[in-house]
Amino acid sequence: MENAEKYAKVDRDILAAMEKPGRLYLAGLAVAAALTVIGGILWAYQIRSGLGVAGYTHPVNWAIYITNFVFWVGIAHSGTLISAVLFLFRARYRTSFNRAAEAMTVFALMVAGMFPLIHLGRSWVFYYLIPYPTQRQLWVNFRSPLIWDVFAVGTYFTVSVVFFYVGMLPDFAVARRLKEGIRKKIYTVLSLGWKGTDREWRHYGMLYLFLAAFATPLVASVHSVVSWDFAMSIVPGWHTTLFAPYFVAGAIFSGTAMVITLVIPLRKAMHLHEYITDDHFESIAKILLFTSLIVSYAYIVEFGMASYGENIFEMEAFRYRALGEFRYLTWAMIFCNSLVPLTLFAKRLRRNTAYLLVVSLLVNVGMWLERFVIIVTSLAHDFDPYVWGTYRPTYVEVGISLGSFGLFFMLYLLFVKNLPVLSITEIKEHL
Amino acid sequence: MADRMVFEDRNQFLEALRRLVREGLPGERIRVITPFGVPEAEEILSRGRSNVRFFALVGAASGTATGFAFTILTSLSWPLIVGGKPIVSIPPFIIIAFALTILFGALSTFAGFLLLSRLPSLRGIRSGEEVGNAFVILIEDGGRR
Amino acid sequence: MTGLLERKGGLTVLIAVAGALMAFVSLTPAPGRGGSLLLAFLFFVAVVEGCIAAAAAGATVNARWVGSVRKELLSVTPLLLLAAFLLLLLIPFVDSYPWAGSPGTWLRKDFFIGRNLAFLLLAYVTARRFAAAPADGEGTKSRAAWYLLVFVTSQSLAAFDLVMSLEYPWISALLGGYFFIEALYGGFAVSAILYLLLHGSPPADRAPESRSDLSDLSILMFGFSLMWAGLFFAQFLTIWYGNLPEEVGFIARRLSASPLRELCVAVLFLLFFIPFPALLSTRAKSNPYVVSAVAVSILSGILVERYVFLAPVVRFSPVALAIDFALLLLLFLAVVYKGSRGISPRG
Repeated sequence: MENAEKYAKVDRDILAAMEKPGRLYLAGLAVAAALTVIGGILWAYQIRSGLGVAGYTHPVNWAIYITNFVFWVGIAHSGTLISAVLFLFRARYRTSFNRAAEAMTVFALMVAGMFPLIHLGRSWVFYYLIPYPTQRQLWVNFRSPLIWDVFAVGTYFTVSVVFFYVGMLPDFAVARRLKEGIRKKIYTVLSLGWKGTDREWRHYGMLYLFLAAFATPLVASVHSVVSWDFAMSIVPGWHTTLFAPYFVAGAIFSGTAMVITLVIPLRKAMHLHEYITDDHFESIAKILLFTSLIVSYAYIVEFGMASYGENIFEMEAFRYRALGEFRYLTWAMIFCNSLVPLTLFAKRLRRNTAYLLVVSLLVNVGMWLERFVIIVTSLAHDFDPYVWGTYRPTYVEVGISLGSFGLFFMLYLLFVKNLPVLSITEIKEHL
Repeated sequence: MADRMVFEDRNQFLEALRRLVREGLPGERIRVITPFGVPEAEEILSRGRSNVRFFALVGAASGTATGFAFTILTSLSWPLIVGGKPIVSIPPFIIIAFALTILFGALSTFAGFLLLSRLPSLRGIRSGEEVGNAFVILIEDGGRR
Repeated sequence: MTGLLERKGGLTVLIAVAGALMAFVSLTPAPGRGGSLLLAFLFFVAVVEGCIAAAAAGATVNARWVGSVRKELLSVTPLLLLAAFLLLLLIPFVDSYPWAGSPGTWLRKDFFIGRNLAFLLLAYVTARRFAAAPADGEGTKSRAAWYLLVFVTSQSLAAFDLVMSLEYPWISALLGGYFFIEALYGGFAVSAILYLLLHGSPPADRAPESRSDLSDLSILMFGFSLMWAGLFFAQFLTIWYGNLPEEVGFIARRLSASPLRELCVAVLFLLFFIPFPALLSTRAKSNPYVVSAVAVSILSGILVERYVFLAPVVRFSPVALAIDFALLLLLFLAVVYKGSRGISPRG
């Protein structure tokens, strides 16, 4: 009898988070929605007036929009790491984060996918990127890293959505049982009539295993492909073999930080301390520390390589990064990404969620700055001194960037109230 | 006439299941409903491994083949030298093939799951009957206790 | 010989004799001696450091399989001291590096040897501290972490200094990471072989899909084969796509002519196209024949690859190479044997 009560309690506790929202929630949602709307209006303004309202000038033709694209794609990776990779490693602590992380992946990819369109200026010609049979018999250039992005990010988004949905399938069955009204109908349809028979569970188990196995190589490959947008060029500071693992480690780093940023307030607001414990956060903090060390290694190697050889262009590119116009951003990036996480070697700090929240926010800022520094400084200062330039973002770019954060948090807040925020079934299984 | 045994406790459920199988009840007539996957029950009923994995294999293989075929054939269909790279340049095509392998593999595994589990089940959607967190054993087609 | 090993100090004698032999062989002024020693050195340091790193990595994540092979893996620690000695034997060879004529701040003989030596000795110290700690003790994880930090640096330096600067001014920022991932990959391969030698195959009545330590190791080898392929591809693609003359020369020298071209293809097969499909099915992961074949393939692949890295720019003497390699292999087997007997009950 005891077990049945425990299961019912899990159901109730987690579905309770989906009840009527409080004032704080509505205020947060309003702010996020407002930012989204402002971002949308500014984008419409940019489409109407042209890309000139953004800060792009020769030679910096990739700037904040591409920074945001890489940033959001990076954030998405950690979700898949937690849900797919940790599943394959059978890490128990995963169950407290994986639903929130998968949702983060899906929403981050949605936001990321908008930025190549925004960056295009003439967003309506995005269809040039899609390989469809045209009447001119012209196909896309498969040798271009931008097309690789289309395939890689597109695949990643599709697989993530499927994985997210499949993970929630048994939970929809729980939700349809315990909710009323229009929500009950929606959950019933979404649950596909799931009953929980042995046939369903058997196939489900294998499906989940294979989806996790398919999603795992995506964690490494998608951000490698995104990094190759830069590494395939010959621009100094971009053309380096290290970019693929460096970006993947950075992606997991920034994504883990975003998971911490999202889940700490979530736990507090929804009283889920029983399910998301300090032990769980300590494990996640270790992932944060580990990936921070990899990123620091990459910084050291890159600066080392630049000073090593006879490539004066590389040397100048890195001298400019460290001491040029954007030096404060570079130093802030090193502080946030390499130095601050070193404090997580102390166990006491790993278990302090307030401190973890501060560290995760700093890491998010630092990783955004890293993408910005890599992209803008290398473009501003490449081979020929005659074409050296600078870059200042305009209010349009800043507004759209803030709008993207607003969109992400708005989607996330909507998710929190409408979908089970923890994996009910997995928690019951491990009770 | 279907028989139905409902348990709140997992171990009691497994004991009853073992008993039924020991008594000689054929596995095809036993269906169980559980709130989460119970690997012990699967072993007792010895249903074998799910065939979803064949869908995964076929999907992934077709993804690889499609990826290479698509890129190579379209490059040859209008041969343009871009960036000094060969018309059929395998390194970039590997990336496309890799992405499609995973995409087709994942989608076909999902389709295989839906097919083999007979989902979406309209009866399940419309009937609205729930067993909650209980472990249920159903014996079908005039079974005896 | 096992009698010699079981005597106190027997191992030290063996190592000293081997070291003296290698010194004799490599310091004889004949072409190719230094190069052969470099190749043997690179391979064995990678495998030795990789074995300890595999144990350390397993310790930091509480991996289950580590317990079965821990002391054997950690028994190779004394070989790091031998490696430091071999590095000193390589000092005359350093003069043949392309930058030797015009040294700079980073690439100068004393600093070059000094930093590699320092990190080898540091690896020895941290490995000993880690080995001395009990398997699940309080400070074990942090000692393992210290070793791993030193391991990463030591292997990166081996890559950037010993291998990359042979092709000066060619650079590849990934080479350091490539080397330490390969070392770890080799470490898991050795762990698998050790596991099979010491514990045999899992019992036959075990359900084919259940986890065992052997299948855990196979999963690691499988995953690392993918990771290796990813790193290889990242390096290759960047160089191929950029098509910069100063970068492409490295690949061109190794792909343009036989036998190096065939050896490059062989490396791809040994390190990825054999391990990956072989370990794909769950049943194969517990099959001792498949796993041992894959492990041997991986170790051979690493050796052939080191050869391919060095071949266009270094002269080898087959005799010296064979002697160095044989002595180091013998020592490796000896320490592992001694390690496996050391704490087990008499009899």
